[in-house]
Order: sequence, then C-alpha cells, then structure tokens
Amino acid sequence: MAKMDLTPMLKPRSVAIIGASRDPGKVGHVILQNYLNAGYSGRIYAVNKNATEVMGIKCYESVLKIKDTIDLAVIAIPAKFVPETLEECGKARVKTTIVVSGGFAEIGNVDLQEQLKSIADKYNMPTLGPNCLGVMDPRSRIDTLFLPTYKLSRPQVGGVSFLCQSGAVGSTVLDLIAGEGFGLSKFISYGNAAQVDEVDLLNFLADDPDTKVIIMYIEGIKRGRAFIETARRVTRKKPVIVLKGGRTSAGQAAAHSHTAALAGSYEDHEAVFRQFGFTIAEDISDMLNYAKIFNSEPFPKGNRVGIITNGGGIGVLASDEIGMSGTLKLAEISDKSKTTLRRNLPPLVNIRNPLDLAGDAGSQRYEEALSVFNSDDSIDSILAICLFQTPGADSSVAAKLINFKEKSEKPLIVLSIGADYTRMHKIMMESSGLPVYDSPYAAVHSLSQLLKYAEYRKNAPN
Amino acid sequence: MDYFDGKRILDRYHIKSAESRYVASKDEAAEFASGGAIVLKLISSKALHKSKAGLVKLGLKGNQIPRAYSELLIKGASLKPYKIIAQKMSEPGIEIILGGKTDEQFGKMILIGLGGIYVEAFRDFAIRSVPITKYDATAMIDQLRSRDVITHQGKNRKMIENLLMSMSALLQANESITEVDLNPIVVHEGSYEAVDIRILKT
Repeated sequence: MAKMDLTPMLKPRSVAIIGASRDPGKVGHVILQNYLNAGYSGRIYAVNKNATEVMGIKCYESVLKIKDTIDLAVIAIPAKFVPETLEECGKARVKTTIVVSGGFAEIGNVDLQEQLKSIADKYNMPTLGPNCLGVMDPRSRIDTLFLPTYKLSRPQVGGVSFLCQSGAVGSTVLDLIAGEGFGLSKFISYGNAAQVDEVDLLNFLADDPDTKVIIMYIEGIKRGRAFIETARRVTRKKPVIVLKGGRTSAGQAAAHSHTAALAGSYEDHEAVFRQFGFTIAEDISDMLNYAKIFNSEPFPKGNRVGIITNGGGIGVLASDEIGMSGTLKLAEISDKSKTTLRRNLPPLVNIRNPLDLAGDAGSQRYEEALSVFNSDDSIDSILAICLFQTPGADSSVAAKLINFKEKSEKPLIVLSIGADYTRMHKIMMESSGLPVYDSPYAAVHSLSQLLKYAEYRKNAPN
Repeated sequence: MDYFDGKRILDRYHIKSAESRYVASKDEAAEFASGGAIVLKLISSKALHKSKAGLVKLGLKGNQIPRAYSELLIKGASLKPYKIIAQKMSEPGIEIILGGKTDEQFGKMILIGLGGIYVEAFRDFAIRSVPITKYDATAMIDQLRSRDVITHQGKNRKMIENLLMSMSALLQANESITEVDLNPIVVHEGSYEAVDIRILKT
C-alpha cells in the first residue's frame, strides 16, 4: 500500500464512537466520556444498537444511518462483531477507523484479524489496531483512550510524538509524559498492526509539522526492508528514539555459525536502528530523558562541554560521566574567557572547567559564567549544575537560567538533584523549555545522544 | 558449500584467503608444505566445530606432518565422508571474524568483530544491514572496543574498510548465499588472509 494519509484519524472533523455505552464499566462509555471531557470541537456521534441516547447524545443504530462524512470511527465492541461493523464503515465511506477491541491475533484469532485487514484494504480505509489504545492529539483534542483521566493524566501540547505497540507501555509512558515539561504532539498505540503498522506511522510522523521528536516502543517489525527505507528517510528530518521489547532470542540457540550466533534477532534490530540514525533507549527513563533534550536543544557543534556548578562533588561526578561517555570531553576554557572570569568573579572561584562558583553563588555569578561560556568558541555545550540546597541558589538562579536559555545558541541543560524545593524549580525551568536532569548519568548520556545524532545528520550519506 | 568453491567466490571479490589444497595422502601433504609449516584440517559435515573436535592441526613441519595426518585419519573414521585440507600456516597476527547472515526481517546482514577464540568471550562485534556505505564501514570499525588492535592503531583501517565493502558486495550480489563465516581472518600490518571459510547456500 502506498503512503497512507492518517490526517483524518488524528485531526478528524467528525468522529463516530461505535459501542458507546451507558454502562460506565464499558470501554465505549469511557471513550465517549473522554471525548466530551477533552473538549473535542468536531462533530461527535454515538453508535449503539441497543440505546437511543448516551450521556445526552443521540445514539445511531448503525454508522450507515449517520448523514455526515465520518473522518474517524472508533470501534469498541466484541471482536466477533468487528468485521461486520467495519464492513458498514466501509460502505458508509468512513475515512479511517480505530479498532480498540482485543480478541484477535494476540489470543490466536489470526483469521479474524486477517478478515479485518482485508476489509480495511478493500475500502482503502486506514485502520489502526486491533487491540490498541488508539490515538491522542492534544491539539485536535482527540482522545480514544479508554482509561479515565483521573487515572491517567493527559499531557499538555508539545512536540514529542509517541508510537507504541503495547498498550501497557503506552499508558504508563503517557502518564509520565504528562509530568514532563515537553508535552505531546501525538500518541499512537497501534496494537496488533493488522493493517496500519510502524512503517505507515513513521512515514506519517516524518511529514507531520507538529512532530519534532518521535519516541517509539516496538516489539517486532513487520516489513523489514520497508522499515529500513522509512527509517533512513525519517531520521534525515527528525530524531527517533526507540525502545525495543523482546530482546532475547530463542533463535540464537539454533544458530549454526559464529556469525549467526552473535547476530541474533535483537542484535540485527539494534544494528538497523544504529545504521539508520535511531537513538537507542535501554529503558523507559532513557526515552524520556532523550526526548527532553532532543525536543528543546539545538545540535552541538562539537563534543566539548563546559560545566558550571555550585557544588564541587557533583561537578566531579559529571566530569567522570563525560570522561566515560566515549563521545564528549571537558572543554578547555579559552585564555580570553579565563581573563574575563578572573576579573568578574570573586577570588575564591578557581577558574577551570568544571567552573565551581561555590555554595554561596547566586544569580549574578551564574549570569557571568553563562555569558562567558556562551561566547567562548572552545565550548560547544553547557551543563549548568544548580543545587538548590546551597545558601545562594534560589528562584532567581532558575529565572536566570530560563532567561539565558532564550539567547543561547548552544545546547544548555541543567542538573538539579533534590526533593520538593528542587522539584518546584525543575517544573519552572522545564515548562520554559529548559531540560533538567536529576543525575549526572542522565544529563551526560542525554547530551551524548544529542551529539551522536547531530553527527549522524552531518555525516551520514543520503 | 565446498571449501574451494567458497575460496573461489572470495577470490572473485578480492578477499584474500590462505593458500590451500585438498590432500589425499601424507606424501601430498608433505609435498605441499615443501619445507614450510602447514595446517591440516579435516572437513566433514558431521563436525561443525573443527577446532573443538581436534580436527585442526596447526604449525606442522617435517615429520610432524605424516603423524598429524595419521591422527586425522583415525578421527575421521566416524566422520565419513570427509576431506583433508592442507593450508600454508599464517604468520601470527590479530584474528578477526567477518561474516554475513540473513535476517528474516531485514535480509542480508554483515558482521565484523574480534575473532578466533575471542568471539564468544568478548562479544565485540558490529552489525549492519547490506549493502553498507563507506560511512557504515567506518562506523562499524569505530563501534568496536578492539578497533585499535584490529586496525593496528589505524594503519590497517583503510584495508579493513575495503574488506567490509567487498564482503557487502559479495552478500548483496549472491542472493543464494545465506551465510558466510570467515573466522578467523588473520590480520597483519598491511595484509590479511582468511584461514577458515564457511559459506552456506540455499
């Protein structure tokens, strides 16, 4: 199938919820409720054979009875009724559908899933799922998740899109994203991928102007060579961070050469990700840490990092991480910068990298250090450590960092470790687009991944 | 695939391998050695790991040759049909592995790593999908922890990059070749030779 247009699925002007129910325990009830809660501004229709009205909305007996063009039908009914309903959607010229229902290939009902795919293909009707959470787009305010908002917080509008094969990983990470400052462009949970698969979705997001960064969780890839072509294309435009589930392979046991024994299925996936410029996450926390820096920071021009700190030991730990990263190194502060710093900072500050401004450092010392580092051509990116437990650090330092962020053309990230007072400032800074990390490891690894991707973009052939 | 059919394919792609031939007697083996050191290997489809099974006799000279040949004949009794290969002994060098395989999703893949007895112990290798570009070849070498050892501090880098490009071309052009295992290839400064060749065809 050629490139699919998924716009009607993610920016629908009209939605039909098939299986909308009056019973609050039913999936179809929660979906409709969420649509109403999210303040979706398009036209919304409820379809249920056994009801005339749900939550004050008129119910249609079938999608065929709706006298409107339907951009998206969300199907939440028992699996065995899905093919017939999908057929009706096709006849009603519904543009796209999402089958939330489970009970297909994941429990062995392969034929039923095949039936679904062939109906979707016949009507040329992009169909997501089955066995998925569907989609969320805070811009168009669509939300097909059957998880109530009091249980799963909804992220704010942002530039990160999240593709997810698994519903469980999807809802967990989505909840975490809601707590991050960067915000969501699109969430797409595609489940069994009977028809629309990761290749279609990556292709769509590659061209989506609202998506700056893609994060994805996948277990298996269905069309390897098509995936390679898409991967190559998308990473020339925007970063993709991938977490792969199912990394151990039983196939390795059966291998009969050294090459095959080394290169199991996960190793091959990892090789393809690496070759075509994906950023590989080892864990959920990596996905979020990398997304944060990719979303807001420009590419560094090189590998030299300048560290500003108000605590010696944390500066040492961050320097160690830089030394071990294999990619980054500590910058040599230029002589000109050293002279300026010596003139403008108190004598107790030792002029070297990491630049330890001392525990009583307030916003003034930070400002001095930041502006010198920013104009020093021997420094490619800045790691500002701000420990809010110190006497000098308060909201004025956070404000200075935020203010500085606006003018800096180099990557600037913050490392702040601590509990409530620190968290408050982290939220302040992150909501202004400044990435804040809570460990030297997370901060330096994220910066290292940004550099690796920048180098891929610069050096990899088309 | 027969060892020498494999060797001929490597020749076509300018991938160098140690001078070898089948020998059918002690005398033929001694004649092939012509005073130098050789290796004798017994090849049988019933024995996949030749060295583990004691089917590779290294560094044979003079009267060690007929003795080793007789030992292989005894071991071979239960491994029929088999053949014995005599190969010129390589100078010691760094052993690497270069191979290819077919992934069910991504198709042909190429692999390079630290080879010989270190393959399993260090698992230091890099993989890419075929065909690779020059950029990929460089990145594969950079990915190895043993890159300085393998490239002799960079002096062999160009040679190994070319070797990767040749293997990629071989895998790409020969659809029926599903797996290649050159382990080890012995790398010296400025030269190399594959001393074991395994190629599988559909």
